[in-house]
Amino acid sequence: MISLTADQIAAEIEAFSHRLQQGARTLASVGEIETGVSPRELIYQEDKLTLYRYQPQVEKLHSIPLLIVYALVNRPYMMDLQEDRSMIRGLLDAGLDVYLIDWGYPDAGDRTLTLVDYVQRYIGHCVDVVRDRHGVDALNLLGVCQGGALSLCYTALYPERIRNLITMVTPVDFHTPDNVLTHLLRHVNVDLLVDTLGNVPGALLNFAFLSLSPFRLAGQKYVDLVDIFDDAQALKNFLRMEKWIFDSPDQAGEAFRQFAKDFFQQNKLVKGEVMIGDRRVNLHEVVMPVLNVYAAQDHLVPPAASRALAKCCGSRDYSELSFRGGHIGIYVSSRAQREVPPAIAAWLLAR
Amino acid sequence: MTQQTPASHPGVFDVELVLRQARAYLAFGEQVRLFTDRLGETAQADWGQALQQHFTQLKTAIAQSAENPAINPELARLWLLMADTWSETATALGMDTETIPDTLRQTEAWRAYQHTQSDYFSQLQDTATEALDLMEQRLNELVAAGKTVSSLRELYNLWVDCNEQTYGRMLRSTAYSELNGRLFNALLRCYSRPEAQS
Repeated sequence: MISLTADQIAAEIEAFSHRLQQGARTLASVGEIETGVSPRELIYQEDKLTLYRYQPQVEKLHSIPLLIVYALVNRPYMMDLQEDRSMIRGLLDAGLDVYLIDWGYPDAGDRTLTLVDYVQRYIGHCVDVVRDRHGVDALNLLGVCQGGALSLCYTALYPERIRNLITMVTPVDFHTPDNVLTHLLRHVNVDLLVDTLGNVPGALLNFAFLSLSPFRLAGQKYVDLVDIFDDAQALKNFLRMEKWIFDSPDQAGEAFRQFAKDFFQQNKLVKGEVMIGDRRVNLHEVVMPVLNVYAAQDHLVPPAASRALAKCCGSRDYSELSFRGGHIGIYVSSRAQREVPPAIAAWLLAR
Repeated sequence: MTQQTPASHPGVFDVELVLRQARAYLAFGEQVRLFTDRLGETAQADWGQALQQHFTQLKTAIAQSAENPAINPELARLWLLMADTWSETATALGMDTETIPDTLRQTEAWRAYQHTQSDYFSQLQDTATEALDLMEQRLNELVAAGKTVSSLRELYNLWVDCNEQTYGRMLRSTAYSELNGRLFNALLRCYSRPEAQS
């Protein structure tokens, strides 16, 4: 039954319009939204890449540093979004010495960067810098999403430099039936895309993500926003997340070409057929302890895509951590703050 | 070759994103108000039949606005949300239909892109029609279960749910995967050099 009269609807519309008018003024005056809250120092730079070390939060640090490799798509401040939503803060509080690679924003000059540059040169140099600073042969590596796939490639090629590997919401098998990103990319002519555009614009990637759930992500979300216009904290949280969603760096053309074709379209990672330069990535070489963290309700990287690692890596100390939430919630939800960093830290400290 | 695109460096939040969807929501509300107005004049015993009849009028109003957005641009925006998103993306890549040069407009690649885009929009429209059918079915189920919808927002949320459901089904189909690929490839061919078109 629809127990609604025309007068009720008119009143609801009027109330909505009123909130909208007030809120639009508030929104326009909010200005730039700050992200990334934990103090950090710049350790190393190469091209667009910056390696940061976060200021430790405890006196007695874990002796093995942790290097975080984030995805090339979107920005890594999602790991340190705000005071009460910071995975990095949680890792620091647990006594870890945390480093992070910020890939920066590729421009036309980076069009020819390949996965050799990203895996062997950039990750390789950062690993070496951190190893040298701490005088250790091997460090702990945490790869996030696409950064997890790159971390797997690096680790398979240089296993002696990685003491423990953590993969987080990382795709390994790109052809599970529920992988909608692969589904969307399957018939796109990647060569035509890269040959035509050079770098792949962030706007295209935004479109791909919005197209997964457009009525919620591009419609309902903004209608619901009107409900929190008078809650300054909730509004800032919303705007911070919104900034991150649309903060999509362009993708270096040649690296995108190989990642899209070899990983998404041809699923070579799980088959052991990915080539980084002239070296084959064999996940059986990943023999150190592995913690595979996935999100049970992840619509971008389905759990099955991540859990495929169990069958193809060579580690005898392989564990999984299932987080009850989605691809974004695993970084920013309250439960994630309580559950994920302490679990990662405990796993590392036990090894 | 593209430079780093402006969209990749978001600064201040674009308030227009909210205003556009809010205006579309208000247009939806206006249609629902007309719908409930007519429904309110119906005897309780005829409610089911009246729902079907008036809902058909609501669907017609939305469909007409989609076919000719000039009739009710805000209502059309609600319906054509995904098509708008694609058009904005194409514009961000330089494919603004208002400003493209005549030389491009007369090419086979441009005509092929227009044709594919038309197929894409048509697919979206079919899916949106299915969503309205689903919404009508859901409303009937609510009535049968003795439940009530007591606010415009509830109806809007139901409309969103139904669209997500039918859209999601379409998105995961093999046909859509092929169409999505054709759309991207057709757009790119408008810009590409001949040797890149293999």
